[in-house]
Amino acid sequence: MMSIELIFGPMLLAPFVYFISRGAEWVAKWAALALFVALLIISVDMYQALPADGKFLILGDFLRVPGFDYALTLQVDALSVAMLILTAALLILVVFTSWEEKMQGAYFSLLILFAGPIFGVFMTTNLLWFFIFWEMTLVPMLFLVGVWGGERKVYAAIKFFLYTHFASMLMLVGFFLVYKQTGQMDFSMIKEAMIATPALVWWLMFIGFAAKLPLFPFHTWLPDAHVEAPSSISVLLAGVLLKMGAYGLIRFVVEMMPETTQHFAIYMVILGLTTTLFAGMLAIYERHIKKMVAYSSISHMGLVVVAIATVSYDGLSAALYEMIGHALVISPMFLIAGWVHHKTHTWYMDEMGGIMQKAPYVSAIFVLAGMAALGLPGTMGFVGELTIIISAIKAYGWWIAVAAFASLISAGYVIWAVRRAFHAEISPIVAKSKFDMSAPEFIALVVYAVLIVYFGVHPQPIFDIANNAFAMFGGM
Amino acid sequence: MSSLIILIGAGLLVPLFFKGNMVIAKYIAAAAFAFAAFNVYLGNGIDMQYFTLTPDIKLLEIVVLVVLAATMMTFSGFERPLVSQTLFLAAASMALLETNNFLMYIVLFEVIAIISYVLGANIRSKLNAEGAIKMFIAGATASGFILLGFAMFAMVSPSFNYAELSVNGNFTLVAVGIMLAGIFYKLTVVPMHGWAGDAYAQVNHSAAAILSGVVKTVVVIATFKAFALFLQAYLDTSVMLFSFFAIVTMTVGNFMALFQKKIAKILSFSSITHAGYMLIPFAAVASGYSYTSLVYLAIAYIFMQTSVFLILADLRREAKIKTLDDIKGLYQRSPLHALFFTIQLLSLAGVPIMAGFISKAIAFWAGVDAGLWPLVLVAALNSALSVGYYAWIIKHIYFDETDGYNNSKISMTPGSLAGQLILLAGTIYFGIFAAPVFTAMGF
Repeated sequence: MMSIELIFGPMLLAPFVYFISRGAEWVAKWAALALFVALLIISVDMYQALPADGKFLILGDFLRVPGFDYALTLQVDALSVAMLILTAALLILVVFTSWEEKMQGAYFSLLILFAGPIFGVFMTTNLLWFFIFWEMTLVPMLFLVGVWGGERKVYAAIKFFLYTHFASMLMLVGFFLVYKQTGQMDFSMIKEAMIATPALVWWLMFIGFAAKLPLFPFHTWLPDAHVEAPSSISVLLAGVLLKMGAYGLIRFVVEMMPETTQHFAIYMVILGLTTTLFAGMLAIYERHIKKMVAYSSISHMGLVVVAIATVSYDGLSAALYEMIGHALVISPMFLIAGWVHHKTHTWYMDEMGGIMQKAPYVSAIFVLAGMAALGLPGTMGFVGELTIIISAIKAYGWWIAVAAFASLISAGYVIWAVRRAFHAEISPIVAKSKFDMSAPEFIALVVYAVLIVYFGVHPQPIFDIANNAFAMFGGM
Repeated sequence: MSSLIILIGAGLLVPLFFKGNMVIAKYIAAAAFAFAAFNVYLGNGIDMQYFTLTPDIKLLEIVVLVVLAATMMTFSGFERPLVSQTLFLAAASMALLETNNFLMYIVLFEVIAIISYVLGANIRSKLNAEGAIKMFIAGATASGFILLGFAMFAMVSPSFNYAELSVNGNFTLVAVGIMLAGIFYKLTVVPMHGWAGDAYAQVNHSAAAILSGVVKTVVVIATFKAFALFLQAYLDTSVMLFSFFAIVTMTVGNFMALFQKKIAKILSFSSITHAGYMLIPFAAVASGYSYTSLVYLAIAYIFMQTSVFLILADLRREAKIKTLDDIKGLYQRSPLHALFFTIQLLSLAGVPIMAGFISKAIAFWAGVDAGLWPLVLVAALNSALSVGYYAWIIKHIYFDETDGYNNSKISMTPGSLAGQLILLAGTIYFGIFAAPVFTAMGF
């Protein structure tokens, strides 16, 4: 089975695609599409090859270093394969939604460059290599936001880069302290060797992941980055980069240090709840449509942390479901918010109004995604929020039902946004705007809508993955 | 020994061709570097009393020779005299790295100092002269301290062989302290760094590439070898002293770099910051990884630092680029310069997958392994802080447009391209493959 090629292949391919596409930019687009489809097929193939007992599928051990545990150990389990499938699928949809992007050679080469390290993040179990790939994802993102973004793109790109890099350095020190304690850098070996982790290590690593998720009070980079990034890149930021934080939290905090996590879980719950409610309130306050979606994104990631903090099979399954659900629900909202701005040249919902009359199908998809965000039954949002609340109540008692207020708050900002931007009287700005959309973009939105409903009424495939992924917490 | 003869011989021969045919001079120098590197690769060192070629030094010497050869390829115009100086420096560096005798260390240290003054004295402007004089005065002061300390040490040590040095008593400690004060000048350790921020920025940038890249690296490795016994004998003092200077140096270097407008100044203070990182292995001498991490830091740093100053030399020579404003929109004027510069800056910032990251990571690991996690935490946060000014340069290169007046294309000479490709290959190779370094260190 392919392994290291999936990581270094795209990284080597990216400059090659950039140079050959200088005369014919369409080449880059098709090369990216072909690569991402191949990555999706290989990821699905990996899922089918996973051992049934929840253990890792070993892919290989590369670049060994004598005397220092710096081997690129590649192995995947159901959790990592779920992330790989999600990443590859989102990358394909991003190609469609970026079909008309400017400077396509550089843009798609950077997307290809991004694919390598992001696959590395989910495939390696060596802490140092995980960190390397984790950090490498920042470089293409810096340029994708900084070059193709909006008015304050440079500020947003550099803030995003610095903020997450700072937090990552804390995580790196945490990794070395784990290495010092266990003599191992590989996750699976550490899990066996670790008895109890000092609080310092736990906090260093938690902050590293919390900044990426992002949790309150480490969230301030996200609204800027998501708003200023081109909408397709916002999709990647929300759908993949935030998931890196959640994935890291599950793998390297909960699974690697279960006892210490149990000890500090209450702080995770408090931070998760605070993030959910605080970001939700900010979303209600926002006039800026994309910022509203960005705060909604933060709010949902807070719920993911609440679920993770249960350190139980139920909670982690719910977290995995919500992670996938969040990616599929938030993505069309970002895309449509960006598209509406592109057509109306305004970000402010109170200057819009009546878009539903001029673009009914796209508006309907926004409404559907919005309803999923507020947890309407029949959509992914309902299953995600319900399973999170149930698992949290099981773990912490009835007081945690306060998390249900998140749904109420979501209803507030989603319904108000839909009313202001899509349903109200046609505003002068909307009246003079032309709401056309390219076929690839529309197809991508339809795919999102279908998946939101499909997994909303038939969530079992995702819970099957969770069953395999969290065997150690009582799955199977 | 044959390597030294060839390098010095070539250094004496090439001035004959400077004015007539620079290409021949470069070919002679390249042949001498290639011969010396191959000779070292075969395990042939200086092979005299007081000199030993160990696998770690072998690797370092090959790196130094390759980097100096790459640097030499980029020279043009009034940088011609630097060709022979790189050859002399290569010979002196080999001797300094191989020596196992404290007296030879002091002598060769001064030899390299003299070559450095000559390198800095490639004067074309008042600014060059100012930089060269600052470097000379600071260097001479440092030499005074080093010689005073050494004279005191000579009174109490029965032998100068590294393995047999006297490491007892407070008198030795005072002597070592005085020597270190002088050496800290050369290593640009805060607060003895004042000269470097100006001098590296004011002397010819190609000379600065060698001074801040090669010279500093060679000196730091030789110093660790020479002082290793003292570091272990006075462990508590070493940990306290070097942790303090490491923190102060990296923090002051970073903050000073953040406020600069001239790119050369930013790179100068970045060099001072890296001196701070290089002190971590000194503090972490109790770890079995301290020397390995220093060697890795040195290898990574020599490729990155040399490359960035050489790019700046190119940009200064071809387009008079000095400040951040001048470099705006560089990717449009010269995509190659922009690309090389960006990758090496990201490496200096410690962004994977380049050598800058893994070398720092191993130094951090050595610190943690020695129980110095607070020092490592400060260093890690400093590393993150440094992204601020490296990313700021990249921002000007890629995200800003040219001002409209300076938008002419900037060409890259074949020599420069070859040199930069070699340096980039080193940065990426040692970023991915750590095994050669660890194997050379005997792991």
